[in-house]
Amino acid sequence: MARRDRGGEDTREAGIRRYILPMRLDHIRNFCIVAHIDHGKSTLADRLIEATGSLEKRQMRDQVLDTMDIERERGITIKLNAVRMQYTATNGYAYELNLIDTPGHVDFTYEVSRSLNACEGAVLVVDASQGIQAQTVSNLLLALDANLEIIPVLNKIDLPAAEPARRVGELRELIGAAESDILQLSAKEGTGIQDLLEAIVHRVPPPSGDPQAPLRALIFDSYYDRYRGAIPSIRVVDGRIVKGMEIAFGSHPQHRYEVAEVGYLQLAQRPIESLDAGEVGYVVANIRGVKETRVGDTVLDANQRAASMLPGYRDIHSMVFAGLYPTDANQYEVLRDALEKLQLNDASLQYEPESSVALGFGFRCGFLGLLHMDIVRERLEREWDLDLITTVPNVEYHVHRTDGTVVVVENPSTMPTGAAVDRVEEPYIKARITAPADYIGAIMQLGQERRGEYLDMQYLDPSRVEFEWQFPLAEIILDFYDRLKTVTRGYGSMDYEFSGYRRGELVRLDMLINGDPVDAFSMVIHRDRAHEWGRKMADRLKELIPRQLFEVVIQAAIGSRVIARQTVRQLRKNVTAKCYGGDVTRKRKLLEKQRAGKKRMKQVGTVEIPQEAFLAVLQVDKQ
Amino acid sequence: MRHLYIHVPFCARRCVYCDFAIAVRKRIPAHRYVRAVLREYECRSSRESWDDKPLETLYLGGGTPSLLPPNHVAELVCFLRDSEQGSTPVTDHEITLEANPNDVTPVAAAAWARAGVNRVSLGVQSFHAAVLKWMHRTHEADASGRAVRLLRDAGIRSVSLDLIFALPEELHHSVRNDLLRALELEPDHLSVYGLTVEPRTPLARWVSRGASCPPGDARFEDEFLLADEVLTTAGFEHYEVSNYARPNHHSKHNTAYWRRRPYVGLGPSAHSFGNGERSWNLDQWVAYQQAVAVNGDPTAARERLAMVQRRLEELYLGLRTTEGVPVNRFATWPTPLGQAAAQRGWLRVSDQRVRLTPLGWLRLDSIVQFLTTCDEGG
Repeated sequence: MARRDRGGEDTREAGIRRYILPMRLDHIRNFCIVAHIDHGKSTLADRLIEATGSLEKRQMRDQVLDTMDIERERGITIKLNAVRMQYTATNGYAYELNLIDTPGHVDFTYEVSRSLNACEGAVLVVDASQGIQAQTVSNLLLALDANLEIIPVLNKIDLPAAEPARRVGELRELIGAAESDILQLSAKEGTGIQDLLEAIVHRVPPPSGDPQAPLRALIFDSYYDRYRGAIPSIRVVDGRIVKGMEIAFGSHPQHRYEVAEVGYLQLAQRPIESLDAGEVGYVVANIRGVKETRVGDTVLDANQRAASMLPGYRDIHSMVFAGLYPTDANQYEVLRDALEKLQLNDASLQYEPESSVALGFGFRCGFLGLLHMDIVRERLEREWDLDLITTVPNVEYHVHRTDGTVVVVENPSTMPTGAAVDRVEEPYIKARITAPADYIGAIMQLGQERRGEYLDMQYLDPSRVEFEWQFPLAEIILDFYDRLKTVTRGYGSMDYEFSGYRRGELVRLDMLINGDPVDAFSMVIHRDRAHEWGRKMADRLKELIPRQLFEVVIQAAIGSRVIARQTVRQLRKNVTAKCYGGDVTRKRKLLEKQRAGKKRMKQVGTVEIPQEAFLAVLQVDKQ
Repeated sequence: MRHLYIHVPFCARRCVYCDFAIAVRKRIPAHRYVRAVLREYECRSSRESWDDKPLETLYLGGGTPSLLPPNHVAELVCFLRDSEQGSTPVTDHEITLEANPNDVTPVAAAAWARAGVNRVSLGVQSFHAAVLKWMHRTHEADASGRAVRLLRDAGIRSVSLDLIFALPEELHHSVRNDLLRALELEPDHLSVYGLTVEPRTPLARWVSRGASCPPGDARFEDEFLLADEVLTTAGFEHYEVSNYARPNHHSKHNTAYWRRRPYVGLGPSAHSFGNGERSWNLDQWVAYQQAVAVNGDPTAARERLAMVQRRLEELYLGLRTTEGVPVNRFATWPTPLGQAAAQRGWLRVSDQRVRLTPLGWLRLDSIVQFLTTCDEGG
């Protein structure tokens, strides 16, 4: 603060400084908002920020916490963030309120749990017309796991379809809250916001922690800045973090980093001298990538290390795998660089090089879930202008051999078959599905179609039910959520968590083109469904592979047994009659155009397979 | 210049399948047309790059060149022939005129022959009245026979007939019948073209609204192979995808295209090739005429051929004819695809050359794609 001596700014700087001086713990409130998607979480956050004057009107964009374009477009939050607000309560005291944002999708359950752990309270938002949904319950359970004080809130009470009385009943049943504890507001209209701020001050406990102890801070988010490296968002639990000190991380304690900057977030980074116990902010320490600042990890003082880490840190484990291949083989290097850069910012993205007979060189990537996969793919295509083929997503199988060894299979085409295989195990998830009671039958049927194991069903109120099912993860990664939405006319919602590996009657289904298996089409599937899938796949490929010079025989096979067959007849004519008056150019341009089209095809032996065929596998069931 | 092409863009009517740059005129501006072409010729032939080899072939194509009054045809032909004969004129030069059967009169035929035209390509298309009417041709079914006799009488050395096949289902057209009728006229050469539905033609509009039903590729194949069988049995050589000739009656001019020899095209939309560059003229008669009037250069665009383009041309032009392409044209031979094609009887290799069979010609475009893909190791 050497600039302090500059005359005219003195007073103002001093004022600000007083404002941001370390607060006593009991004047800090750290909280989050949990809600089902579209129940108004982001709008509510905007209103709180506005009401506390934490940013000027002109800085307000709607839903300021969702910073990435993709998040905005999809209306979901995938990246954690935080905002500090100053609020003077009716009791006359000034409080520092830290709102920590949580991702709103099942793929990011672990990240949600870490950001909840950075808080002491949670505002549980329920749409007054839609009521409690699967994600409401899942997030509530996570919040309760984290020992948070829950402030239940009914939002959108301005809507004509709002049923506050009924929803209050539901909430009382769900969390045992007294009716008077349930706030009713409309984030859109801005009503009830003041009451909520007061409730946060009075009902959320202040952070506990030891300001004198060695530093321990929880990383609840991390992102990569091209110029400053990985920047973790942290909640200081004990001690303090100061500019210039050396820090280390619990998961790789041998590395030391010098803190270049600490600060808090108020839509922009606001540097300050230190973050103290109970506070929330960010750290810049010349960290190469977010791999080194894993969510859930503990930040330590490198020279005075705390005896124990904060609990709950977990390694990333990919749930869904798919091959990503550039359409144009020349873009392989671009894809590799793009994945490397993306991983700097997304520690949950895993990848390794892979090659496919059909698709050439690419990468096998591991994702937290399907949404995560979509986001990665979209960013690669958008930010790096790549044109990609994605293979059918699959889960990780454990193949137990008769000799007692276990092979972990991330790519179906590499799955061992035959006598050496004792059994195959696949991952299962426990799913929570809520829907109006009218759709019980439809959900039961869908569950059975997807090899689900029904566990339980409860009525949330007389007209709405909550199911518990076990599903093989493989059955839900493709299009389960879409199907659920379809059979419940949009009213069903779902959330899930990994529940372990179980044995399955699984076989590897290969698609053969003119006798040769095309690795990118291989999949692992339940024996009972293999025939139907193989037949549909052969039909679909027949539609998508154009007639060409040579006849194309498409076969579906389990091992050496062919279970379905289709033929694309050969093209009997492809010639342009004549070169008019020496116009050779026209004809050549036609050929060049056809060649450009061919470049978008993948050649397998003498057969050209259009890109769409590789996507078709994803849609086989949709017919 | 060894090879000259003159494009005469005028037609009395547009045929249903034609997407060509033509000018439909009741009265042909013959005088202005001849002046414009000769002016273009003078400008281009005065350039240093002009090849002064003696003329071997001259081809008047269209459009409908026979719509030009005979004296104008004679003026054009005589002037170009004399200007381009060089110091040692070629004795067996080929001068072709495309003609509509209706335009062949005793006077016209005699005038053409006098001017040096020794080959006439007649746009017969079919001998079925219903087919001709459907096509919007202006001639009657019996005009073709009469025209051939008049051309013979006038002493035209080589007479070629254009026929068409793969006509829409609804015409119930018999290709065999047309082929036999054509053979009765004892032509020296036949061009047998499969009908192609080009975009932005009346035919394409009929097809798109379901009023016309183009044949599937099975019938295309059947008719193509039928023509091959009938005509080769009658003593013709099937020497190019669409062309048949009796001995010594191959089209020398078209052969120059297929061999990638340099040529100059005069007139609207005419194409030229030489020194690794292809260029073409403005295709609209009015625009062409204006450009010629301004600076004698009606060139619309030109392109220098890249190596890969040149090789692509060599391959697809070479494979169009029985000359084929040399085996050493390929980086490796035989390739698996080449072998597969040979097994199916689509191509043959002899005298170190790869040649397509009629079955191969049916698939020419695909085969070229395949062979070039292999060639580039892709």
